[in-house]
Amino acid sequence: METPPKNNKWIAIGFLLIHSIAILIFTRGFLLTRTELPFHSTCSDVSLSPCLASSRPNHDSNFNSSSVLSNQNHPKCWTKAVVDRVIIIVLDALRIDFVAPSAFFPEAKPWMDKLTILQKLAFANDSSAKIFKAFADPPTTSLQRLKGLTTGGLPTFIDVGNSFGAPAIVEDNFINQLVLNGKRLVMMGDDTWTQLFPNQFQKSYPFPSFNVKDLDTVDNGCIEHLFPTLYKDDWDVLIAHFLGVDHAGHIYGVDSSPMIKKLEQYNSVLEKVIGILESQAGPGGLHESTMLIVMGDHGQTLNGDHGGGTPEEVETSMFAMSTKKHTASVPPEFDTSSCKQDMDGKQICISSIEQLDFAATLSALLGISFPFGSIGHVNPELYALGSSSLNLDNSDLGNFGTQSAVKEWMENYVNVLCVNAWQVKRYIDVYSNSSVVGFSSDDMSRISDLYSAAEQSWSNSVKRILMDRIGDEDSTNISPLKEQIVAYLSFFSSVVELARSKWTEFNLNLMITGFGILVISLILQFLAVFCGDKSYAVESWLSTGAAFTLFIVTIRASSFLSNSYILEEGKVANFLLATTGLIKLRYSVMRKTMQKEAVIFLAMVSVLRVSIDIGLTKQAATSQFMSSSPSWMLGIAPDLPALTYAIEIAPIVSMVILIYVLYIAIAETSSEGLWKYVTVSSMISYFLIALLWASESKIFGLDVLLQVIGGRNRIPQTVYVIGLVQLFLLASARIFGAGKDMSWAIRTVALVSACSSSVILLSGKQGSMLALAYLLAGYCIMRLEGVERTQSDGQHKFSKLNPLCVMQWSLLSICMFFASGHWCAFDGLRYGTAFVGFDEFVLIRQAILLTVETFGFSVLLSVFGLPLLIPNHSQTPQAHGKKRYQLFQMYMLYGVISATTVTATILCVTIQRRHLMVWGLFAPKFVFDVVGLILSDLLICLASAYYL
Amino acid sequence: MKEVKKEKLETSIGDSTSIGDSRSALGALTVYLITGLFLVVGFWVVGNNYSVDLISDPALTLRLLWSIEFPIVVIIYSLFRRNPEECSYFRAVGRSIIGLISGALINALGAVSLGAPIGMQSLPKTIHWSFLMSVFTFVPATAVFGASWTDWHRVFASLKPTGNIEYMIVIPAYGAIIGGWFGAWPMPLDWERPWQEWPVCVCYGGIGGYIVGQIVSLSLMLFLRKSKNLKLA
Repeated sequence: METPPKNNKWIAIGFLLIHSIAILIFTRGFLLTRTELPFHSTCSDVSLSPCLASSRPNHDSNFNSSSVLSNQNHPKCWTKAVVDRVIIIVLDALRIDFVAPSAFFPEAKPWMDKLTILQKLAFANDSSAKIFKAFADPPTTSLQRLKGLTTGGLPTFIDVGNSFGAPAIVEDNFINQLVLNGKRLVMMGDDTWTQLFPNQFQKSYPFPSFNVKDLDTVDNGCIEHLFPTLYKDDWDVLIAHFLGVDHAGHIYGVDSSPMIKKLEQYNSVLEKVIGILESQAGPGGLHESTMLIVMGDHGQTLNGDHGGGTPEEVETSMFAMSTKKHTASVPPEFDTSSCKQDMDGKQICISSIEQLDFAATLSALLGISFPFGSIGHVNPELYALGSSSLNLDNSDLGNFGTQSAVKEWMENYVNVLCVNAWQVKRYIDVYSNSSVVGFSSDDMSRISDLYSAAEQSWSNSVKRILMDRIGDEDSTNISPLKEQIVAYLSFFSSVVELARSKWTEFNLNLMITGFGILVISLILQFLAVFCGDKSYAVESWLSTGAAFTLFIVTIRASSFLSNSYILEEGKVANFLLATTGLIKLRYSVMRKTMQKEAVIFLAMVSVLRVSIDIGLTKQAATSQFMSSSPSWMLGIAPDLPALTYAIEIAPIVSMVILIYVLYIAIAETSSEGLWKYVTVSSMISYFLIALLWASESKIFGLDVLLQVIGGRNRIPQTVYVIGLVQLFLLASARIFGAGKDMSWAIRTVALVSACSSSVILLSGKQGSMLALAYLLAGYCIMRLEGVERTQSDGQHKFSKLNPLCVMQWSLLSICMFFASGHWCAFDGLRYGTAFVGFDEFVLIRQAILLTVETFGFSVLLSVFGLPLLIPNHSQTPQAHGKKRYQLFQMYMLYGVISATTVTATILCVTIQRRHLMVWGLFAPKFVFDVVGLILSDLLICLASAYYL
Repeated sequence: MKEVKKEKLETSIGDSTSIGDSRSALGALTVYLITGLFLVVGFWVVGNNYSVDLISDPALTLRLLWSIEFPIVVIIYSLFRRNPEECSYFRAVGRSIIGLISGALINALGAVSLGAPIGMQSLPKTIHWSFLMSVFTFVPATAVFGASWTDWHRVFASLKPTGNIEYMIVIPAYGAIIGGWFGAWPMPLDWERPWQEWPVCVCYGGIGGYIVGQIVSLSLMLFLRKSKNLKLA
């Protein structure tokens, strides 16, 4: 093998391409993206619409006098306000069967019919209340749902344009519109609201929502503030978010006594709230024109899970009640209610509503401009509850008086829909123009056709009817109105259908295609590793090393099928790494060599596991799926002076040790020329980092130093520049063909040290200690390579690769990812590190720094450092070609190990795509894994270009 | 009566250097039955006299378990000590106490490197768990081999046990360790069962593995007895 295979590089690039294509296809089917638009609606926008500027140009006299009086205080915006105040009580995870009577379900369950007050009000004669079955859109997690409810859109997993880290909603939304229109908001309960809307509430009483085991804190806080607030007049919209039912579901499940207790508690709270409202509902009273909405943000399964799209999770309920006694009735064509006979034979009905329509309907009720990105329409039944009518004396349908009331209401409603349709069309147009992935032109033209048809008939006939009406109660005039409403509704439904298909539905075909390509590439990689050139190839299938590697990889891959193992992935990787360490220890004791190395390896693994534990406690603090158990840290007194001293000094000491290691590396090997200088400049970088940390800590008194150099950004920038120059030198040396005969060790040390300085700097003070642990563990892996072989067959097998050491190296790098305080979630990214050395934000530069920080240890150093694992015990000339081939094999093996785990993740994501945690856990894991895989493939290409 | 049994055992296993005597397999069975019996007794005492179990108070349970199991293991295995003429019975008992402590240390370190919780709250659990594992793994070996490194190396590292007593030491010991390793697997799952806590399921795994190891070693002894004539020179 004098001339090594020239196509090695092409093989690596080929796998990079195959993986990219597979992942691209899969991602298109799985990760739905939507662009957030920064535009906001304003009151004056409505003049651009073809609709009537004011809903009732000349018929105010015909209108309910009290409501005219109350509305005169408010300037008219897009529509006329029909209610003054709104109380929104959100009961988290309110299933439909908590509210709807048990007659609607095949069998009565213990948790049904507990909120009796709502049923009593909704089914009373002459009622101004209604129960709706509300359909939520997945992902059915509270944060996404609140976002959907307030923006009137369909939040996807990745809303492009999302601000870095902070969850605050930047899109136009209902809450924002309220503030713009001078409404005063009060919020109490779940603190997710204050995260989403940090500045919008005039008063807020947030309570922490993290502790799932705590059923009462949030609710009691809500109750405490709710009743006094109801008597005050310093607010227009009140939001109270109760969490007890959600938490009770998570902990005990739906069929449990805590759940029933919670529901009974809510019933009494609601009874009291309604009592207060009714006592103040008289003319001139505080709640003369108030609407009470009791709603769930999503449902839950019987186990209390939610997040996915099963009927149990998306079907939630909404109860709406107006304090006005006479509310308009809806023509039967637009009535969605389904009715059942209850036990007394009475007709009871519940209607249905999409949560998507909530923002638009409430905006219409309160008379404010609709959120810019809302794609819902004003729900006729909910809107009718708010709008009252003088002419309506009793609720007999078919009565002539009612007919006129219906007509009046419809005239009002059709104008609202006109504004609404114009607003939705505007959003769709703007979205498809400005978004990266817009809608297809077919879809757009279909929607445009529907809209222009509706608008045509509007301007041709209906508008004239509305303008020219002379007040005659001619029932024949209703039909054009009805047709118009139907036209608008069909426009809305096609928009929503399009938006759903674009934003909420997985494309299973694409997902399976992507997965299939990945599996094929995996098989190809496998063949490349095991069926390459026989004489140098990896040990045969049956060898214990290969079998054990396969075993470990399989365990790790299948562990991704369970959400629990993904959560604790760091621990699992560490467990497997320690297992390989123990096995190596056994072999080294058996062979009576390298026992020290095996023990050191285990010690390093233990160090890493402590670091992983610390990372896990950080993760648990923010994750909604993990309970934090920092109990093991209780024993350590945090403010012991000696300990703080040690914490300050340890990173610097390990930096010094690293410099010493590099010195040894130069001194011991025959490093010369360029590679020597590169390594020496890494030592300078290390020294600068140590200096930076020393000057940042207080105990050295080096604060002056920072002023001398001129700011704390100078040193990091110098380190980056040194690193870039080093990489440039190494690359150009490679291009001009220098140093082909250099041993790998020297070239690897130069490259790894050049990269490591930036990685260590970005990782912060733990970086140097982790780098040291990494180095030691890597050294032990190298030394222990082949310890299983007996002395006799060591001679003829030495050139064959032991897959176990590559496996260990790969596991070690995964442990490093977790040990350096990362985890697979977006809140696990350390945004702060993007600003090491820079104060201002430049997207690309900061993104590169963040990537280097996140994948520095686990991918960058790991891939570039792989040649260090090649044992150094043969310097014969013909060994060079062998080693070259062996290195290629190692890279292929490394690639196949990473690709296997990513394939397992993708399989798991495909299987679990409707799982509760798909957006909270699996999708972030998928994103991290995929980015890691592409990055590894890319670096393997670069590394094989550099080394081979 | 126990004394008589012991004598019998001593003659049946300790003396016979030949592998796979039917009597020695029987003796091994008796030893296993006694150790198993005392394990059951341990659980019974814990349940009846202290009315706790592994889940409600793992530290106390494990302490009682190993302190009941340890004497019986020492008493039995010290009978089979190497070089009985040089090493007195009491010396064998004494060195197995040292073996208990050092074995516990090694087990604890191994568990910590694999990810056992570290911290003041779980410290007693870890300590008593490692004592129990030490009783399963190290104590019989120290009682028999003492500090003879060559024996240890041959039996544990090279896995080349000769003679029934070595099978009886090494296979259940490895069984306990492998069982404990597998026992750790359910721990991260989110079933929120009390037995998923450290060290409950690892304990069950260890005990289960120990019993499986005993069965395997018994069947190996019987199997090797059959093939003895072919194999042994």
